[in-house]
Amino acid sequence: MLKPTFVPLMLAFGLLVTGCTPSSNTAEEPKQSSNRTLDTLVISATREPDTLDVQKTTFVDDSNSHMYDTLLRRDMEGNIVPGLAESYEVSEDGKIWTFKLRKDVTFHTGEPMTAESIKVAFERYKENSPVANNLGPIEKSEAVDQHTFKVYFSEPFAPFANNLCWAYLGPVDPKVVAEKGDKFGETPSGAGILKFNEHKRGASIIYDINKDYKWGPTYVANQGAPDFNKVEFKFIKDDDTRILEFQKGTIQVMLDVPPNYLKPLEVEKGVTIERVNEQALTFLGFNNKKEIFSDKRVRQAIAMAVDRDPIVNVALEGVAKPVNGPLPPSIAGYSEKIENLAKEKYTRNINGAKKLLEEAGWTDANGDGIVEKDGKPFSVELWLTKEPVNTRIAQILQSQLKEIGVDLKITVQEDATIRANTPKALHDMILWKFAWSDADVLYAMFANGQSIRVHFERDNLHDLLVKARQTTNEQERVALYEQIQEFLVEEEPMVPLFVRERIIAHRDIEGFKFNPYSQSIIFSDIKAKQ
Amino acid sequence: MGKYLIKRLFTSCMTLIGVSILVFFMLQMIPGDPVTYILGDFATEEAVAELKAELGLDKSLPVQYFSFVTNAIQGDLGTSFITGYPVWEEITLRFPITFNLAVMSLVIGAVVGILLGILAAVKQNTIFDQLAMLLSLIGISAPSFWIALFLIFIFAYQIPLFPISGYDGFSSLILPAITLGLGSAGNIARMTRSSMLDVIKQDYMRTAQAKGLALHSMIFQHAFQNALIPVITLIGLQFGYLLAGAVVTETVFALPGIGSFAIDAIAKRDLPTIQGLVLFIAVLFILTNLVVDLIYSLIDPRIKY
Repeated sequence: MLKPTFVPLMLAFGLLVTGCTPSSNTAEEPKQSSNRTLDTLVISATREPDTLDVQKTTFVDDSNSHMYDTLLRRDMEGNIVPGLAESYEVSEDGKIWTFKLRKDVTFHTGEPMTAESIKVAFERYKENSPVANNLGPIEKSEAVDQHTFKVYFSEPFAPFANNLCWAYLGPVDPKVVAEKGDKFGETPSGAGILKFNEHKRGASIIYDINKDYKWGPTYVANQGAPDFNKVEFKFIKDDDTRILEFQKGTIQVMLDVPPNYLKPLEVEKGVTIERVNEQALTFLGFNNKKEIFSDKRVRQAIAMAVDRDPIVNVALEGVAKPVNGPLPPSIAGYSEKIENLAKEKYTRNINGAKKLLEEAGWTDANGDGIVEKDGKPFSVELWLTKEPVNTRIAQILQSQLKEIGVDLKITVQEDATIRANTPKALHDMILWKFAWSDADVLYAMFANGQSIRVHFERDNLHDLLVKARQTTNEQERVALYEQIQEFLVEEEPMVPLFVRERIIAHRDIEGFKFNPYSQSIIFSDIKAKQ
Repeated sequence: MGKYLIKRLFTSCMTLIGVSILVFFMLQMIPGDPVTYILGDFATEEAVAELKAELGLDKSLPVQYFSFVTNAIQGDLGTSFITGYPVWEEITLRFPITFNLAVMSLVIGAVVGILLGILAAVKQNTIFDQLAMLLSLIGISAPSFWIALFLIFIFAYQIPLFPISGYDGFSSLILPAITLGLGSAGNIARMTRSSMLDVIKQDYMRTAQAKGLALHSMIFQHAFQNALIPVITLIGLQFGYLLAGAVVTETVFALPGIGSFAIDAIAKRDLPTIQGLVLFIAVLFILTNLVVDLIYSLIDPRIKY
């Protein structure tokens, strides 16, 4: 039995320490950061890239992409604009792309960028990348002269323009490639605004600003290098630790602010918050190979039972936007018309949903609140990863589907487990997301042989997806994707839910911009706040 | 002693073989593989087959295991499927941080724990005993992430004596070492108290007291040395666990040690890295246990090998 002195001592200590931990609910007075000109821009990120050789990875973000510049770019409205290629044209049959390269671009070693270096990059990418399909059905590439480059395809490949906006296909320094071979990732060299300095594995990556850089995007004020000297990406997984570093002023840019810290940071002096749509659509996916989901009316009924408002406002604390159609606004190919069509068709309607289920043969014969068919209850398992917000979303969905008599069991699994087992169609439903910057992502989701998560493949859909891939005329392509999305809205192989907002906080700097279509920081206008 | 060491070497080798077989085949049983991680949503059957062949995962399990073992014997733990760096290079890069942290934590834990334990034993059933046991209970019960955040908030944020996160030398390890040390201290204090109480009750201690020996002489020259064996065992075990990497502490303080590295490798199903790390940690445990056993013979002359 504890002596009387124990209990008050324990309580007193508990109160003392509880009062001292970081709070997510109170506004803090900012810590004064030192009054110095900006030498090193420190950015916190949660995930360290697997490698700095972007041609060998499927993970590319701000921390490893800025060493490489791209032939084309997306501007702040999502339009494809020139990059390292001043211009390009596509032949009538869509199979030959000709690029005119800028003449003033150099790699970090000082070597000039030429058509030959693009060829080396493409060949290396094709050989090494686990996602070499981003190149499409390429037959060959050709350096016509120093600054003219041609790509030949066996079939037209419209997504190529979008794919050229990503660092995967950015030119790499052929001299360093020749020297380093497989070890290129240890001292990478490209034509980007950042030059590799040091990689402290597990901790940080330090870049120097490429002071020779003068071929930046035309949609920013300064197309050259910024005034500061270095950029450091610090990898800090723990949310509280990152927040404390940011509040202390040792970090100027905090990527991916946790939603529960948004309100205190919004009221903190000197802090600016940017909210940008992610390019990822979170959806409730059906395993369309399962008999239970083979009837379209069942899928439509479930779609009608879903109410996105509590998911967005409660589970996600308002840091998301509801999406009803197959593409979110942040992915090129999004259609307002389709979004409205889906919203209208699947407006929450419990009675309508029950009616659809009844028509499909599902009724609550025994009055237990769960519908049955042929004696089997409508009981399905929802797989989700262990991110806490996913559990909250799943619980909301569970209660919403209960209203129409569907028993949804929640199973939290490791990401790697879901990735391994969904292609084998072992699941009933998943809470998942897909991400890309072009409507061609629908090919990856629904084309024959590609639909590894929702297993929804239809020949007519496949034909449309292939046609959209091969149509280089922009207007025709848009019309095709509208047709595709209309079909998907009708069939509802998945229930689109929301697009999350990415919250970025910065302090002590001005001129910060974030491109939502390339999901990347624009460094050139950043300077110390005066 | 020579025979003992040879015997230990033999049993250690058997242990390592057992560990390598266990971890290899267990990894094959858990769902997920590095290929589906790398390919993500582009993991079509064709792409999976191609990448598996490239990584050598299409070979039979015995062939894969044999290849791993023969390379490991020659000091080659393979290459990470995810980063492309040699596994041994990754380990040697990160292990010094974990090692330094483990040593510092253990010193803090041992010093604090032993002193608290002695105090509690000598002043049994007094306010000092209760306070000592309260502190040890807090050390054991309080989650390490909570202690870590508390220390960061007070001593790195409010009073900026130490860095909040990252590794930049000795000062970066002080708060993490205190975090881990408090947990160890709790266990060591309780073991020390219990062991000391057993010894204090012995007849020779009453004899020492009757002879008029000073208290500190009785405790440190007679009682403590005899109470040390179970404490040393516990410290050895603690050291082994600390060397395996204190994952939560490394994550909160963003330290690039082997604990956080191991968790990352498991999440990404980086098979060579996981296998290499497990073998490495097994060797560390074996060596730690051997050193502890040898220390016994130094403390207690009755123990001979």
